[in-house]
Amino acid sequence: MSLEKTHVDLGFIPLTDCAPLAAAKTLGFYEEEGLDVSLIAQASWANVRDRLAAGLLDGAHMLGPMAVAQSLGLGSDATAIIAPMALNLNGSAITVSTAVADRLRQLDPDGMAAPRRSAEGLARLAAARRAEGLPPLTFAVVFPYSIHNYQLRYWLAAGGVRPDHDVRLTVVPPPRMVEKLAAGEIDGFCVTAPWNGLAVRRGIGEIVLFASDWWGATPDKVLGVTNNWAEENPRTLQAILRATLRGAAWCDEPENRPTLASILAQPAYVGAPEAALRLSLLGSPPLTQAAPVGPERDYIVFNRYAANFPWRSHALWFLSQMQRWGQAPRDPALEPAAAAVYRPDLYRTAAAAVGQAAPRVDLKVEGAHAEPWILGDTPSSLAMPADRLLDGRAFDPADFAGYVDGFEVGHPAGTPD
Amino acid sequence: MRVFIIDPDEARAALVAEGLADIKPLEVRRVASLDAVGADLDAFAPDVIVVACESSDRDTLEGLREVTEANPRPVVMFVDRSAPGLAQAAVEAGVAAYVVDGLAPGRIRPVLEVALSRFQLMQGLRSDLTKARADLASRKTIERAKGLLMKERGIDEEAAYGSLRSLAMNTGRPIAAVAADLIAYANVLKGGGQ
Repeated sequence: MSLEKTHVDLGFIPLTDCAPLAAAKTLGFYEEEGLDVSLIAQASWANVRDRLAAGLLDGAHMLGPMAVAQSLGLGSDATAIIAPMALNLNGSAITVSTAVADRLRQLDPDGMAAPRRSAEGLARLAAARRAEGLPPLTFAVVFPYSIHNYQLRYWLAAGGVRPDHDVRLTVVPPPRMVEKLAAGEIDGFCVTAPWNGLAVRRGIGEIVLFASDWWGATPDKVLGVTNNWAEENPRTLQAILRATLRGAAWCDEPENRPTLASILAQPAYVGAPEAALRLSLLGSPPLTQAAPVGPERDYIVFNRYAANFPWRSHALWFLSQMQRWGQAPRDPALEPAAAAVYRPDLYRTAAAAVGQAAPRVDLKVEGAHAEPWILGDTPSSLAMPADRLLDGRAFDPADFAGYVDGFEVGHPAGTPD
Repeated sequence: MRVFIIDPDEARAALVAEGLADIKPLEVRRVASLDAVGADLDAFAPDVIVVACESSDRDTLEGLREVTEANPRPVVMFVDRSAPGLAQAAVEAGVAAYVVDGLAPGRIRPVLEVALSRFQLMQGLRSDLTKARADLASRKTIERAKGLLMKERGIDEEAAYGSLRSLAMNTGRPIAAVAADLIAYANVLKGGGQ
């Protein structure tokens, strides 16, 4: 059966995790499906959201939480978005300026030496600055509804820093993070590769927490389309998914990573120096300029561990953080609405067509494994990574409200009712 | 009312500012990016922010909707639900508006309408300019192809144009495209490659 449409415009933001799209395009996987795909860089996530809603883009590389927020009408008018596949796991990190890192080492030498660096030193630094009448430290994330916002807040809160009180949080577009850190306008940030590695390489920043050390299997970007578009173009959507899944699998083969770095280094994609891209694709970026490049450690994952599966428990976890930080009301009706944004059913059809194993369940308990494990509930079992969260709390979607209630630090005004 | 315009395109920003001059009471400031005012937008205390969608500052503005100690005056994206199609037209024209929460839509609407019409005007001028350039390039190509035919076949200008036109009609393609092909083939035959 023929495709409903062959020319497709997909928006993206210059980040390493647009890789499955860039690879599928460069390697001709879209062409093999009869698709003429244009990948169009966007100036902001807000533009991605608005252009999708207005029908000026067919689909886009999106932040998972943003797809959920747009569907629920948080931060914009509601437009039903669906996420039929994820594009990656991990890839983000928290970086602080070298000056702040040095202060943290003085204030909390043990916490800074731990494998998972704690924010307790930052709590002391924030208190000291307040006592001295200095302005709070400023940290940047990429968008209010982003894993980066929740990762940074999670880390801060676990160390006793109240994100809305002890520090100032701002939003900066990913390609501008490094220059703002260099200019001293911000003291730290949480962003996806390649920007953390670049800050370290330039000697202006120090990485304090990889996503792969925070959660182990951190959900991040998805491929999003409007629900209306998906209903009008079901065969085209499946063709896009098949080609992108093949692109994602190609990106995860270690021998392809050097080629991937040179593809992404092109100005049409990420446009960052190839050497900086290689830092997060061929290993993990060193924490400091003087340190050696680390082992690969799942720094960014494109296909293995069922990385492309749109787990409904991911959508629900995002909602839990929206409620924790006062972005969404504590309304139980939002739970099914958020879960419905992720579409494992559409994923399974595409995965079967390209011979990739897919989980049969839509949800899992997140953060429950201290060790690598096997997801047996598929036609062929899938290897999964250790996925314990920083503070050891697991998220069971069956006890959603209990999970949100269980956080000691949240939004100062509580969540809106 | 204080309006803040963020647009890397200075000519367009000036056009918007000029259009807003009729709305009173009004104070307009314009910058190419938020960097020009530092991170502190509060000092300007704008009621309305008009921003070009091509500016990378949009996400920073989205961040200002979160109420925190440092940000007691949240901004919200302005969408006028009483005017269907206005939001869509704004996205298509490449302009967005943010307002300080609580400002009456009736006061903001004229501002957005002016911004929208000026962005559309500029978009129209740009596409006219692009088309004019393309037309000029086509004319030059047709002239060259005519010259080629006149020289190679020893015919006059009118006959040369006539054969280009009939070739275009027979193949159902624009005359400039046929002319461009002719020039390319002639180059290949002369051993000039591309």
